Amino acid sequence: MNHKELIAALSEKMNAPKSIVESLLDTTVAMCTELLVEEKTIGFQSFGNFEVRKKEERLSVHPATQIRTLIPPKLVVNFKQSTILKDKLKDLPHE
Amino acid sequence: MSKDKISSQEIIDLVSSKASVSKRAAEEFLKVLTSTIEEALMTGEVVKIKNFGTFKMQWNEPRKSVNVQTGEDIILLGFHKVTFTPDNQLRDLVNEPFAHLEPVELDGSPIEKTNTSSEPPLDPLRTLNEQAFEIRNILDEIRELSTTADGKVESIEIVEEHIFELKEDVVEPIIDSNIIESEGPESFVEETAEQIVVDEHELSVIIETEKVENELPHQDLEEVDLQINFNPKSEPVVSEISISITENRESEPELNDSVSDIDVLIEEQKVKKRRHKKTWLIVIVSSILLVFVGIGAYSFYPPARNFMDKNYSSIKFSVLKKSESISMTDMFNTVSGWFASKKEKEIVPQSIVIPKDTMQIDSIEAKPEVDSLQMLFDNPRVYTAYLGTERIHDGSRLTIMAKRYYGSKDFWVYIYEANREHIANPDRIPVGTLIKVPKVDKRLINSSNLRCIRKAKELHDIYVKRN
Repeated sequence: MNHKELIAALSEKMNAPKSIVESLLDTTVAMCTELLVEEKTIGFQSFGNFEVRKKEERLSVHPATQIRTLIPPKLVVNFKQSTILKDKLKDLPHE
Repeated sequence: MSKDKISSQEIIDLVSSKASVSKRAAEEFLKVLTSTIEEALMTGEVVKIKNFGTFKMQWNEPRKSVNVQTGEDIILLGFHKVTFTPDNQLRDLVNEPFAHLEPVELDGSPIEKTNTSSEPPLDPLRTLNEQAFEIRNILDEIRELSTTADGKVESIEIVEEHIFELKEDVVEPIIDSNIIESEGPESFVEETAEQIVVDEHELSVIIETEKVENELPHQDLEEVDLQINFNPKSEPVVSEISISITENRESEPELNDSVSDIDVLIEEQKVKKRRHKKTWLIVIVSSILLVFVGIGAYSFYPPARNFMDKNYSSIKFSVLKKSESISMTDMFNTVSGWFASKKEKEIVPQSIVIPKDTMQIDSIEAKPEVDSLQMLFDNPRVYTAYLGTERIHDGSRLTIMAKRYYGSKDFWVYIYEANREHIANPDRIPVGTLIKVPKVDKRLINSSNLRCIRKAKELHDIYVKRN
């Protein structure tokens, strides 16, 4: 499901025009990005949390050439599903 | 906003204020949004939100674990998990504080480690050659010393004598140097005479082996059985050689006993040197010949192949011995060759007995040098194996690569040679060019050998001037 399909599905459920849904989604995304840049954790009820995690610097060795490379630290966005979502997914049969 | 965690309620407030919609509408929107994503994920779909990221369902396999309290094995059930991969834009924005940092390559020991690990399995010839160079350097030093002391160039044997004399003078100044000098040549004459006897031994042996060898080619064309016959024939010859050698070795110390202690010292040192040289020369030449004989027999002579398969170990042994005898003939040939051509001028002022010996030593030391290294220099180099590839970035230099891979920046020319089709001008290589660092013969990139460096500099001049 890509961006367009998601908007279509949302507008159908909300009985609202696509343009409104699109603008709403865009503002939500922009806001979430803004908050994440500020290293805030965003919690969506019954869905999960978005948080920023810091990956520490590390030393990696190329297995073939044995060249050691220092990988600098970085910040990544991490999503952790909520327990409610997890329980829902438990019922889902595998394959 | 000051809190680290922002709850759903706060998001609703923010969305409603920003999009200027009612809180209820915003709440509904977010609820529908999450539920739609959930549903889509449940059906196994991937949900993509522009500029934000991708949600995906992931199945984690069941795995074994241990109960920490009881130590019992337990099985953790498999479960589904929603994963989120941030979009490039979001990722870059979040990582802004560390965006300026780049991975840094750390140079140093690891490269050397790989080098040393690749070195040992190369071949014993190489190490022997290094030894040869060392010996040659020592002899060069001795020669220099003698020229400074006497002011005239003498043959090496005499030079050595002088050196020993000098040493003795230092250690025991009481002993008259005249006595030593008078004793020196005497013992020398004795020794050289002995040497000639040995040479005669060798000659007879050589003649015999040559006979055997002359017979061989005719037989080769006809039958395998003759190949087998050859072995018994060659074995007595081999034993003779070994006997003659042992005789030589045994008789020398005996001879030394009669001379004074100082002379014994000198003799022993000489004998040691000569033996050392002889052994490594024999090993080098015999191993090379062994390879050639083996390849020749194996490729051109199908019956020999069968024979090899059956009696591989035994024939190998006999061939080795045969080649040893050949090395003797080679040695003798080179000796006579040197005698005829090069050394004659220098020999004239010496006595008649001495030159024969000196020549032998000269030929021994000069032969591998001229053969292996000059051949390497003269032959066009073909690069098939590579140590690695390097991408040219700002500040990259071929010389730096050469320093890292070969130990000296002078040998950059070999990297250039291997990549000549990609490089128009070695001084200005465009950024991004992929450079293959070739594996070059160790003897060529021996940074302690002046000839190698000279050769590299020659090539350097050629390539730099041409551009």
